Amino acid sequence: MPMPNVTCLTSVRLLSSIFRHHQLLLPSVASVKVPKRTVFQGEYRRPGRPKEDKFPWQKINFNFSKGLQGIKKHFTLLKKEFFERWVGPQGKPLLEHILEQNRVIWEFRGPESLEGWTVSSDREIGGQSEVYLKLGRNNNTCLLYGTMSSTPPRDGETRYSGYCTMRSKQSLASFDRKKHFDWSSFNTLHLRVRGDGRPWMVNIAAESYFSHQKDDIYSYFLYTRGGPYWQDVKIPFSKFFLTHRGRIQDSQHALWLDKINTIGFTLGDKADGPFQLEIDYIGVCKDYAHTEEFAYELYKRNPEV
Amino acid sequence: MSPYTLTIMIFGIGLGTTITLMSSHWLLAWMGLEINTLAMLPLMSQHNHPRAVQATTKYFLTQATAAAMLLFASTTNAWITGEWAIQQMTSLIPLTMITMPLTLKIGLAPMHSWLPEVLQGLDLNTGLIMSTWQKLAPFALLLQIQANNPTLLITLGLLSTLVGGWGGMNQTQLRKILAYSSIAHLGWMMLILPFSPSLTLITFITYIIMTCSTFMIFEINKATNINMLATSWAKAPTLTSLTPLVLLSLGGLPPLTGFMPKWLILQELTKQELTTTATFVAMTALLSLYFYLRLSYAMTLTMAPNNLPGTIPWRLQFKSFSMPLATTTMASITLLPIMPAMSTLLKL
Repeated sequence: MPMPNVTCLTSVRLLSSIFRHHQLLLPSVASVKVPKRTVFQGEYRRPGRPKEDKFPWQKINFNFSKGLQGIKKHFTLLKKEFFERWVGPQGKPLLEHILEQNRVIWEFRGPESLEGWTVSSDREIGGQSEVYLKLGRNNNTCLLYGTMSSTPPRDGETRYSGYCTMRSKQSLASFDRKKHFDWSSFNTLHLRVRGDGRPWMVNIAAESYFSHQKDDIYSYFLYTRGGPYWQDVKIPFSKFFLTHRGRIQDSQHALWLDKINTIGFTLGDKADGPFQLEIDYIGVCKDYAHTEEFAYELYKRNPEV
Repeated sequence: MSPYTLTIMIFGIGLGTTITLMSSHWLLAWMGLEINTLAMLPLMSQHNHPRAVQATTKYFLTQATAAAMLLFASTTNAWITGEWAIQQMTSLIPLTMITMPLTLKIGLAPMHSWLPEVLQGLDLNTGLIMSTWQKLAPFALLLQIQANNPTLLITLGLLSTLVGGWGGMNQTQLRKILAYSSIAHLGWMMLILPFSPSLTLITFITYIIMTCSTFMIFEINKATNINMLATSWAKAPTLTSLTPLVLLSLGGLPPLTGFMPKWLILQELTKQELTTTATFVAMTALLSLYFYLRLSYAMTLTMAPNNLPGTIPWRLQFKSFSMPLATTTMASITLLPIMPAMSTLLKL
């Protein structure tokens, strides 16, 4: 067990100088120090990250110019939000809002488009998958690639492993408030992808109120073809089913499209090896022929007898 | 929901409101309000969707807070004056305090933030009950207390008309638009309350008729946002031509019914020498009128893109029970000529 960090007191030094000839006393007197509390470790620490060794007040980095930049950025966003209300709903004129049938939400055309996405894999829990995100050829697409490994981490409790995912970051309005997408005018998700034949999962996260609904995600499958040709995938929003932390829920309900937070793609098909998914754009469209509200049963399944 | 449960809940909200309407004791009135709130909660969350549950939770928290504040104010009045009667509330501090919970209950600005979110989480039928029936009980109490501070009520009223007009400006969700419209109408009602409570009642009754017809129109078209409203012209063409009239009546345009309360209120305000207030509130009505016009424009005056099967539902026979819709729509369009009868009733 390591010795706790201690600080030296001047009185102890004085004491040790007076009693220098007492050899027995010296080591114990010289090493008397005041114990310091260890730093609280806080949230989950990814394997490989160093432990916290500084107190929160020691981590403050007071930077005046950065603060000014932040003020400027937030007030610019606020001004933009204020003036776009004068144009129409969601910053567009009403006519455009009524006539809109297709909208491209994410388009990967430059390095800044990748900043809105975050990738992760089971490396976070100690697994061996690798996942990377980069721009494709001619900076026209994004390429999610890596290697999946379903070897579970040896921590004694994890039984299954092997997943790689990319998820869009939560978009923020001025002063770091959450901004939601309003897709209530649309009913279909339109993706232009080029996969590797593996079955992916599309995950949409909507805004929730209670903290235990934080991990509620609406998912559907994306079966990629694998060829050199691009694939246009149209998934109606009525097909998305509710999952919580990856487990499909018994009581299902339709996805409400007026407050969508993030979209993501996950691979977890237990097949070890390299994978690749190239995405051209992600958009939403209105399919007038699709009138289904929800694809799954709403009545109470497994009723208590 | 099982028909038995539904009957019990509907009976519960009826009972709660009736108890409050017939009570002269604060405790009984509070009890009626609580019964009303508690019976409404299962109706709101019957669909088990997270948004409905969220709306129910927010509604419960606001209504419970208001009921607690109401009980506190009435208890303080009883402590100071020994009077529990609603109409005998004479002590200054409780009288001022009682206005806050009642305005929170009905969703008047500045206590209006819960109303758009709660209405958005409900389906249209439950939203109709929320916007109309649930306001009866707090209004009955507001009408009975002797308002001794017109300044507070006028300020609340002006703030509500402004917030209601401005907030509804860029909404595309119909339920949120109706929530802001409700806030604006409540503002008009509050404005005239210290001077002529009977005018408040007339405004309230007109507002209920117009809101009922609007909600029922949206329910028949199954429309919850502007785009769905825009493609609903093919479902019932007669309704499509009458809806702008109902919406403009909500906006207070003559010669429709909705103009009557606004006219009488402005007349009364002018008689009370509050011409600046009257001008300001008439200007704020323009804000609301803008978004009603926008709805009429999207629904009737333009033809939104649609596919071929979407253009033929009107050929099929309408099976839903439309008697309340017909009555309330006609009432919200054609009742302006009874204005002299209303003025006579005012003198009571």
